[in-house]
Parts: sequence; C-alpha cells; structure tokens
Amino acid sequence: MSAVAAPLALADVLARGDVWRGDALADLPAAAIPSGHPELDAELPGGGWPRGNLTELLVDRAGAGEMSLLLPTLARLSGDGGWLALVDPPWRPHAPAWAAAGIDLSRLVVVRAARQAAWSVEQLLASGGFAGVLAWPESGLDARALRRLQVAAEGRPVFACLWRSTAASAAPSPAPLRVAVAADRTGLALRILKRRGRPASRPLLLSIPRPARIPHALAGPAFPAATSRSAALAAVA
Amino acid sequence: MLACDRAAAEGGVAPGQKLSTALGLSPGLAVFERAVPGEVRALETLACWAGRFTPTVSLRPPAMLLLDIGGCLRLFGGIERIVEAVREGCAGQGWTLAWAVAPTPLAAVWLAQAGSGASAATAAELPALLGALPPAATGWPAELLARIESFGLRRLGELRALPTASLRQRLGSAPVDDLLRAWGELPDRPSAFVFPESFVGRLELPSRVEHAEGLVFAGQRLFAALAGWLAARQLLLRAATLHLAHDDAPDSELALRFGEPVADEARFVRLLREHLGRLKLAAPIEALTLVADETQARPGDSRPLFAVAVAGEGAAACLERLRARLGEASVQRLAASADHRPEGASRLCDEWLDKSAIDALPAAAQAGQRPLWLLPAPQALAERGGQPQWHGALQLLSRGERIESGWWDSGEAGAAGDVRRDYFVGRNPQGQWAWVFRDAQGWFLHGVFG
Repeated sequence: MSAVAAPLALADVLARGDVWRGDALADLPAAAIPSGHPELDAELPGGGWPRGNLTELLVDRAGAGEMSLLLPTLARLSGDGGWLALVDPPWRPHAPAWAAAGIDLSRLVVVRAARQAAWSVEQLLASGGFAGVLAWPESGLDARALRRLQVAAEGRPVFACLWRSTAASAAPSPAPLRVAVAADRTGLALRILKRRGRPASRPLLLSIPRPARIPHALAGPAFPAATSRSAALAAVA
Repeated sequence: MLACDRAAAEGGVAPGQKLSTALGLSPGLAVFERAVPGEVRALETLACWAGRFTPTVSLRPPAMLLLDIGGCLRLFGGIERIVEAVREGCAGQGWTLAWAVAPTPLAAVWLAQAGSGASAATAAELPALLGALPPAATGWPAELLARIESFGLRRLGELRALPTASLRQRLGSAPVDDLLRAWGELPDRPSAFVFPESFVGRLELPSRVEHAEGLVFAGQRLFAALAGWLAARQLLLRAATLHLAHDDAPDSELALRFGEPVADEARFVRLLREHLGRLKLAAPIEALTLVADETQARPGDSRPLFAVAVAGEGAAACLERLRARLGEASVQRLAASADHRPEGASRLCDEWLDKSAIDALPAAAQAGQRPLWLLPAPQALAERGGQPQWHGALQLLSRGERIESGWWDSGEAGAAGDVRRDYFVGRNPQGQWAWVFRDAQGWFLHGVFG
C-alpha cells in the first residue's frame, strides 16, 4: 500500500460532479423574462414577458418586426440552455440569421403541424422541456383550445407566444397578456390589449433594430435596371 | 510466545510463555517470528476492503478496525445487515472475527475484545452491556488491572459507580478518561484511515502455489480490497496489473484490462478467472501484488438544494411523440452550412441531437444582413415604375449585395445552382421589411425580416 499524495488543485476537486457545494441553491425560474426593451418591460406585469402563461401577439402581417422584438428574449432563453420550438412559422427560418442573433440552432425545433397545431403546441407546453414555444396556428383557435393551452403552460417555466390576427382582438381569450403589434414608420407600435393589473391606455412606440445599410460597398446591379438602381441609391443617400 | 495453534496448546504451550519454555514442553514446535509489517499491511488491506461499508474507517493495531456505520445504516438496511455482510466478507477472506457494535468507539473496542458479539444500537442499552464487562476487557496494563482487582471490583459497572474524583486520585487520569469515553461522556474521535492515493495490495501466499487456478482465492481477496478502495475513493477501474512473485525466478505480470470502467468485484473475479485459466506458471508463486494502474473518477452529479423538478416528460420524449404523430419530416431541426447562397446556407434536417451536423458559419453570412425568414423558393415580383411590388411598392433601403456563386452544382437536382443576384433590403407601405433580389429574370422576393 503506498500513499503517494499527488498534487491536486482545489479547483479540480470542486469541479467533480459528486462534490456538492453549499452555495449551489436552486434559483426558481423568474416569472418574467426581460424583453430587452426597458420601456416595454415597464409596461409588462412582472417586468418582462411572462413564463408559464400564454402571450398573444396580434399581428395582421407577419414580418412587421415582431420577431426582432422577441429576439433578445429568445437569445436569452437559448443562451441559458433552453429548447425553443417554432410551430408552423409563416416562412422557413433562415439559419445564419438566427445563429447570428445568438440562438443555439442545436436546440431549435421547427414543427410543421398544420391541422394538429393546437395539439402539438399543447404537447410542447405540457412537456416542460421547452423554454420557449412560438406558434403561428393557421386556423383560428377556438376558446376551448386556447384554454387548454393556457392550462398546459401554467406552472411551467415556458415562454409561450401565439401569433393571431388582429381580427381576434375583440374576442375574449384566456391569455393573460395580449399585445397588438403594428409597424410604424420608425419602429413598432404596440398596444397592450390585456394585461394583469390595470389596463394600459397609451400605445407604445419601440425602436427595434432594422437591417441597415451594408457597411462595405458592393457592386451594384449589373443588369439594365438604371431606374431601380437610382432608386436604391437615392434611398441610401 | 504470542499465539499458538490447538495442537501446541494441547502440548501445554500457552501465549505469554518464553520460547525456551515452549520448546521444552513441546520439542517439535514449529516457530515463526512475528512479522509486524505484514500485520500492518494486512490490516490496511482489510481497511480498504471495509471502504465499501463506510468511508470512515480507523485502524487500531495490531488487529482491530473501527467502522463508523452510523451514517450508512439506512443504506444497508440496519445494523444486522451490515454486521452480517462484514462477517461474511471476513470469513470469505479467511479471517476470524470478533465484533461488537456500540454507540461509542471505545465501547465497541472493549465489547469486541471481550468477544461478546454484542450490539448496542442506542446509548440507553450501552451502560448495561459495558457494566457487565470484566476490567480485563479494556486492555489496560496488568498492574492497573491488579490494583482494580485489589479493590474487590469484578465489573466495569462497579468501577464506573465510584466517584470520579477519588478514582482519578487512585488510578490516574487515563483509565478514568477511558471510562468516560466508553460511556460517551467525553468526546472520542479515533483518527480516520486515509485511503491511499493509489492501490497496491500485496498478499503472501501461505504455501507455494504451483497451478494458476490455485491463485483465484488469493486473487479474490486482493480484488475484494480493491473494490472497497474504489468505493471509498469513488473511482472506477480501467486497468490493473497482477504481479506474481516467483520462488526462484523473476516476477511475472498479468495485465487485466476492462472494456469499460468498472467497480464491480464480481466482474474483476470473472476476468481474473478467465486469465488464470489460460496462464501457465513458469515457477511456483509465493506472493501476489495487485496494482490499480488506471482509474477514473466515478461520474457523479449533484443537484442544487431545493431544486424543483418541472412537471412533464421533457423535451426529448415530447419530440419523439410529435414525430410519431406528425411524421418524421414534420419535426425538424435547423442547420446552417457554409454556403453563400441563401438556399444552401440554411436547411431543415431530420437528424437532430447531432451537434456535429451544424457547420461553422461562414463569416460572410454573419457580416451581411440576413433575414430571419426565407421563402421556400424565390417569389417573382412585378416591377412597376422601376420598383418591385410586394403588397405595394418596395422602397429599397440598402445598396445591393452581390451573391454570385454555385457554378459547381448547376443543373443538379435539389441544388440552388449557379446564381447571380443582387440583394436589396426593401420596405413596403405596410411596414414589412423584405429581402429581394434582382437577377437576369427580374425581381424576386427571397426573405422577410421578421
């Protein structure tokens, strides 16, 4: 029996999986995730997008900028190691842009559910394994389906966001947070239709990052399209 | 004379005699000198073996081990189960055992020395058991024991009943402190055995072994100690070497290598049997040495205190169910690849959980402006007044970005082919931001900035 004491760094010992440290306390998942826009956080109950509750985004035309509004939140969720699911997105996600926004593509799932969208979203929410579920249900969900989704999301640390048409704004919904989003000349106009607490009165104008001019000059169109080129250059100038 | 076997005892030999007396009584006596290092080594090997029961083992030379089992009673299912396992293990290794279980270490030592095999589970049972012991069970010096006997005291309980202060004056402090420790009135922490950093177990064989199969029993003892050491140090074994010391030839080695890291004694012995079955011994063997060559930390995981598990089946199980119901092609993962053409840079793939499938992103794609959404195929746009139309005239807001690439796969099915496009960012009156391009065929919508 030999007792040769190999030099062992304290950090190596603490890094062992079976060494438990007294400061390793579980932190409860926050009830809200900061949206990345302080003026919006001030209006949202809890100071951010809610977890464990359904959020409705009422948008008439997808692509108005609502994804850019959510990207900081999604990047934060993905950065914390959470899974994200897109159910029936309006177009195909373009991987380089999502990756550049800080989203881990290995934990991003795209689901084509079509007629089974309500069932799929309910399963994704109830599984408890997803940090964010974004859904663009094609057909209008009835109140019963929405209630089921709200129940599935309750008590789970998931950011559940549902895209709906503004035509649904008049109909009642079990979602505790409903936000109508419209494009504005300078950015996004948000109207919080429903939230916990007192109702919001004034619409919110947010500036979101927009595709700017490409910094380095590239060759212009090589086709006989003089008018469009001049229009493009005029817009740039 | 320290010990003798039964045949010698019948001849009148007894421990404590002088060697000359013993030889006179029994002239044919075979005498062996006491080997203290061997005893210590055997006790340490046994301490390693005991590491399977508890990490807190104390040596009490020459022949006693103290196992602190207070913390592992629930794991093993009670005192009786542990005692049974210890007794079986010792018997399997050829040791005879005198044991006792008590709430204080010293009480356990005395009870075991008295050979009672008593177990006191609680402190309340202890005084009765201890009180019945003769003073000789303490192992105190003979002079001290004689003085106690001269008081007319036959039991430790009677001694304990005397006033402590006067007892200290008459016997000295050490025996009184021992009494208090045994009764649990003074704290007692025997120094714990430190399990060695690396395992080297050596075993002298009682007689020369000529056949390899005869080594299995001895090897089992060494592997039992190794398994206890692995358990105490929370390690797994990858490879070990058994050194065979021969009578009159250089040592030979037997390398044992495991397919996966293991800590299971039964597997060690199975492998040992297989190897020994094939081994041809060059010379008789007198000693075995087992060396643990490669070990690795047992993978462990600690969870935070007060962690609350999220209700639900988890992501992987949920995705499996979705795939089963919606079809494999409906639940996909996004992958980026190094291609300048947008069609090639992003694709949906079925195989997930395979992180290597995600290629490093091309720097160009990250530098430029890329939309979050891509149309499955470019959508032709009408041109009116020099402006492409998509829900109204698109106002172009960026300079063109030329993407000209892909001559190598033009004409191939499913490939984007040779493209020559100028991409612009445009905005329509509804406030939608589009990624459009113009090529020789005209204007196309290819992506939408979400």
